[in-house]
Amino acid sequence: MALLKFENVTVQYPIYNAKSMSLRNKLVQIGTGGIVSQPTAGIVTITALDNVSFELRDGDSVGLIGHNGAGKTTLLRTMAGIFMPVSGKITRDGRVATIIELGAGLDEELSGYENIYRMGMLLGSTRSEVTLMVPDIEEFTELGNFLQLPVHTYSAGMKMRLMFAVGTAVHPEILLVDETFGTGDAAFQSKAQDRMKTLVGNARIFVFASHSIDLIKQFCTRAFSLEHGRLMEVAL
Amino acid sequence: MLPLSLYFAWGDTRARYRRSVLGPLWLVLGTAVGVVGLGFLWSELLHIDKSTFIPSLSIGLVVWQLLSGSILEASGVYIGNARLIRNVSAPLFVFPLQLLLRQLINFCHNLLVVVFVLLIFPPPLSLNQLLVVPGLVLVIANLFWLSSLIGLLGARFRDLGPLVGSFMPLMFFLTPVIYRPNQLAMTEFIAWLNPLTYLVSLVRDPMLGFAPPVFVYQVSVGLLISGGIATLCILGKKHGRVVFWV
Repeated sequence: MALLKFENVTVQYPIYNAKSMSLRNKLVQIGTGGIVSQPTAGIVTITALDNVSFELRDGDSVGLIGHNGAGKTTLLRTMAGIFMPVSGKITRDGRVATIIELGAGLDEELSGYENIYRMGMLLGSTRSEVTLMVPDIEEFTELGNFLQLPVHTYSAGMKMRLMFAVGTAVHPEILLVDETFGTGDAAFQSKAQDRMKTLVGNARIFVFASHSIDLIKQFCTRAFSLEHGRLMEVAL
Repeated sequence: MLPLSLYFAWGDTRARYRRSVLGPLWLVLGTAVGVVGLGFLWSELLHIDKSTFIPSLSIGLVVWQLLSGSILEASGVYIGNARLIRNVSAPLFVFPLQLLLRQLINFCHNLLVVVFVLLIFPPPLSLNQLLVVPGLVLVIANLFWLSSLIGLLGARFRDLGPLVGSFMPLMFFLTPVIYRPNQLAMTEFIAWLNPLTYLVSLVRDPMLGFAPPVFVYQVSVGLLISGGIATLCILGKKHGRVVFWV
């Protein structure tokens, strides 16, 4: 039973420049009681999600639409529990897997097989559970002997195959995928689609950010539109 | 989370030596060269008996590498894993734990040199040697809170890394690695003002066959409790911010 519920969630994050990251500046600020340097110097706060509410339950598959910088990735990260909201409440029930940034979590020096263990364990599986997933991942990625080579020899599409295979093999209840997913070739897309269908059929939550309305129509039954951090449900 | 950190640490170690012939033995060789070179040079310069000086020096150097390695790398422990922290929701302490385990793997390699030295210059064997175990536990526990804290501060204040980096070579001489605290005679108390002195003593004294003074244990446990609580408080308050800092 998976559940993901946002109630009036607002996420703000600070952007630091070199000045505000400096220890000297902080010390001057403390030493002078904040008179010499303005307390907020160099820190810009961005409101990335503004009062967002929705509820996702078993079997929901949602596409996120919005122009660059609208907050799609921020929303995915907040759903995953990577970003903490400054206000509002998030209820999350179920194991989360994320495929957000291509190659994140992969160690480029290690082989494909070693990275399967690395990613699998990072997503919360034990070593022996990962061992059981390996044949399935081998079959899905079709990478064959490439799995024995270091990941830095892989193309973007191959990395995507590996990440997607591990991300779905751990049987997440909530799967969050960003638009980098589009790097796969046509054969991969159709295989991935089958896999997504089973996942959604098994009553799980799937959230997918993309600029391609076609892809979203293939995978999703609902769609959210994001604009300047505000969220609206739209008809597909 | 321990198996995850251990797998990461082991992966780091393997990745680093992937295409090298001697692999991790380079570490052992480096330490061995240091021990032999410094051992003969300093024992001549200081007119000390080699059979007491070289064992003390080799254990000191190996423990120092564990301490300085953990502290030096700590400031980058979250920054270096920025991509992971921004994309996967994993508990933060995995990363300092990974650093510590990697340093411990190195430490175990270096212990080969110590074993070799102690075979040539055997220390008096007694039950005191068993005190190595609680000693190491205290060292590891203290390094864990210290590297978590330095990592957190280092992610927020980017000057901390270079700052720590410029002080560590000095700390090498302020910490009784080459010498022993009691050789300082009148100024021994200065060495005991340095927390690292306690951590070195916890491991070196038992290995050489005598028990560290009781106050070494009292101070180390005190450090562990106060430092551990302080780190937990700061991490508890700021752990949600780390992802924006890295």
